[in-house]
Amino acid sequence: MSPMSPVLAIALKDLRQRLRDRSALVLGFIAPVAVAALISVAFGSAASFHADVAVVDLDGGPVAAGFTTFVNHPDLADLLTVKPVTREADARSQVAEGHLDTAFVIPPGFSAAVTSGQIPPITVLASTDGPIAEQVARSLAESFAAQLQAVQLSVQSALRAGAPHASAAALAAEASTLQPPEQTVTQAAGTRALTGTSYYAPAMGIFFMFFAIGFGARGYFLERTGGTLDRLAVAPIGPAAILAGKSLATFVYAAASLGTVAVITSLAFDARWGPPPVVLALILSLALTVVGLTALVITVARTERQADGFSSLLTFGLVLLGGNFVFIGGAPALVRTLALLTPNGWALRALTDLAGGANWTAALVPLLAILAFAVCTGAVAFVLRRRVVAR
Amino acid sequence: MTPSPALALAAAELRRVTRDRTFLFFLVVLPVLVILLVGVTTAGITSIRVAVVQAESGPLADQLVQDLETTPALETHRFTTRTQGVDALRRGEVEAVVLVPPALDADLTAATTTRIPVLVTGDVQSGQAAVTAVSSVVARHGATIQAAQFATAHSTRTFEQNLATSRALQQETPATPVRTDVVNRKSNYLPLGYNYSAPTMLVLFVFVNALAGGAAMIQTRRYGIFSRALAAPVRPRDLVLGQTLCYFSLALGQALLIVLVGAVLFGVSWGDPLGAAALIGLWALLGTGAGMVSGTLFRTPEQATAIGPAVGIAFGMLGGCMWPLEIVPEPVRQIGHLSPHAWAVDAWVTLLSRGGGVADIAGYLAILAGYAVVLLLIASLRLRRSLVTP
Repeated sequence: MSPMSPVLAIALKDLRQRLRDRSALVLGFIAPVAVAALISVAFGSAASFHADVAVVDLDGGPVAAGFTTFVNHPDLADLLTVKPVTREADARSQVAEGHLDTAFVIPPGFSAAVTSGQIPPITVLASTDGPIAEQVARSLAESFAAQLQAVQLSVQSALRAGAPHASAAALAAEASTLQPPEQTVTQAAGTRALTGTSYYAPAMGIFFMFFAIGFGARGYFLERTGGTLDRLAVAPIGPAAILAGKSLATFVYAAASLGTVAVITSLAFDARWGPPPVVLALILSLALTVVGLTALVITVARTERQADGFSSLLTFGLVLLGGNFVFIGGAPALVRTLALLTPNGWALRALTDLAGGANWTAALVPLLAILAFAVCTGAVAFVLRRRVVAR
Repeated sequence: MTPSPALALAAAELRRVTRDRTFLFFLVVLPVLVILLVGVTTAGITSIRVAVVQAESGPLADQLVQDLETTPALETHRFTTRTQGVDALRRGEVEAVVLVPPALDADLTAATTTRIPVLVTGDVQSGQAAVTAVSSVVARHGATIQAAQFATAHSTRTFEQNLATSRALQQETPATPVRTDVVNRKSNYLPLGYNYSAPTMLVLFVFVNALAGGAAMIQTRRYGIFSRALAAPVRPRDLVLGQTLCYFSLALGQALLIVLVGAVLFGVSWGDPLGAAALIGLWALLGTGAGMVSGTLFRTPEQATAIGPAVGIAFGMLGGCMWPLEIVPEPVRQIGHLSPHAWAVDAWVTLLSRGGGVADIAGYLAILAGYAVVLLLIASLRLRRSLVTP
């Protein structure tokens, strides 16, 4: 008989046993897909910011008309929808009730004041629930104010520099036709927008995959208590074969769990994982890490309860730190750095980059980091193996 | 005086359960860590994050970067290369990348119009909010430069001399003021940061832990503790009551701990004390009911610890514990309100963001009480049946 047979036999037995356990099926396959489905329903598409606004022109002069033209510029059409509102009270109530995101109020006498110097403020009516809309509205009003100021400053600077005062009107006319010296130009960076589903499908998949650590470690102690391991030791099978068989079962279960999540969420929920060969490599390396962590828990724990406790601590510690619960891109720099202390943090970085349109090479460093984690945990477990033998 | 059998049974069960260190981790440590993490992450959501890549230093380029950094609407992050900025954009760390051109100073001094690229993700429609905020800073920065260029064209003075003049003039005659008038003080959202994470995670964790606590009940049944207790002069009713009391005190204890840690460590304000107390009490009762249903529904402790939290997390997502239901489509919001979580979160919004009291959340409390009564009734009947059926 080839030496592979006992390894395979043990692995297949473990897998059969695990799949008979409904909780392993739920945690490994159903829960991550269900959670990804919920996320996909909640965040159907990557929505970009858009605001419904109104301009209440209480001035009626040419400068106020210029402001209305400014916010109606075609370049802003994707950002703003300008709705007709003539009374300030209506704009207030519509912003308060959420029908408008924000409104601009141009005060009476605004146009006349621009030339006289004492300019009354443009008011941005904002809702307490729309901080971004408020900032966008303020930015637009300030841009317009800066353009007005540029004309005024141009005339005043020219006069201070020695231009004749008699030419002030001509200078003003000329300055008002000037283009700003510097302008922003929006360009596509070549990246793809990261949807909630594309982030949380792998994040939740990895979270539930890590429960395999607990299943594997607890299973070992249950078998030891049940005497199965002692009986195996009597058979002509080396401890290495037993260990390999059990590791193989954990590896296959973990890889199948995350692999299933990847396939289902890609096909059914439009989650972007990246090129299949690279994603497969990431999944397999993470499954190896799960094997390493399981071995580590088995060597460190002394009882089934301890194994259960250590696995839970490891699983939740890693997913909390690695960014599986919160969108790590939005977290402060320190939290993002800490995430890279975990294999799942590296996996999420790679999958985020791939979903964002990066080349497959972006996954190389994360892949090496995950494998290093697998090797390190496996090595520590190997060094501590005498603890297991001594029991 | 001998304590009532229900109390004695509750105390014994409580001692047994709290001896499990893993259980204590989930009860105490995990919620606090998650509150910390979600709080830290959501605190910065209100500003627009942009990356700034400055190729070369120069007085005008430096001033532009400084203007970008001091604008309240923006949170800027400096990068040295375009690739680093694009990586941050791809990872969602920033919403746009401002590339300050290397020849900015030379072009502006030579009166050449300069374009400042702002990179956004996907198609150019995204990141418009960030682009608008950056454009506003660029417009303000450009005002004095435009004036200096204009004055240079109409005088014999140098650009630098005119720039100094236009900057001095800008100080004398400030631009048109823009003021914000917030028309409503009562929000439909929980405030961000810890004030968001603490109440939502209280709702999530008390429920999840209660469901997982069903495992302990199954263990108690498996150890034969119920059968042995019934051999004593103890009525099944007392056993059911004892179990209810034990798990209610655990749920309530966890909720109060989160309130305490939230208030002391994270400075969370819990709103009207009476309203908050009623809401927490009812939520603990509801969690107890759900946990006891889990304890009578599942056959093995493993099933309860595995399936319970998954169900709890799904309910939390549906009910607005992970993100505000205000941002999801209307049908999803309605489905979410099938879960008790949505009503509890709505009640917290009323208490914390709208300054409500117990009368304002009475409707929510009534709905939660309805859920609690139904769950406790089902749990009690199932437990009692399992006790009296041999």
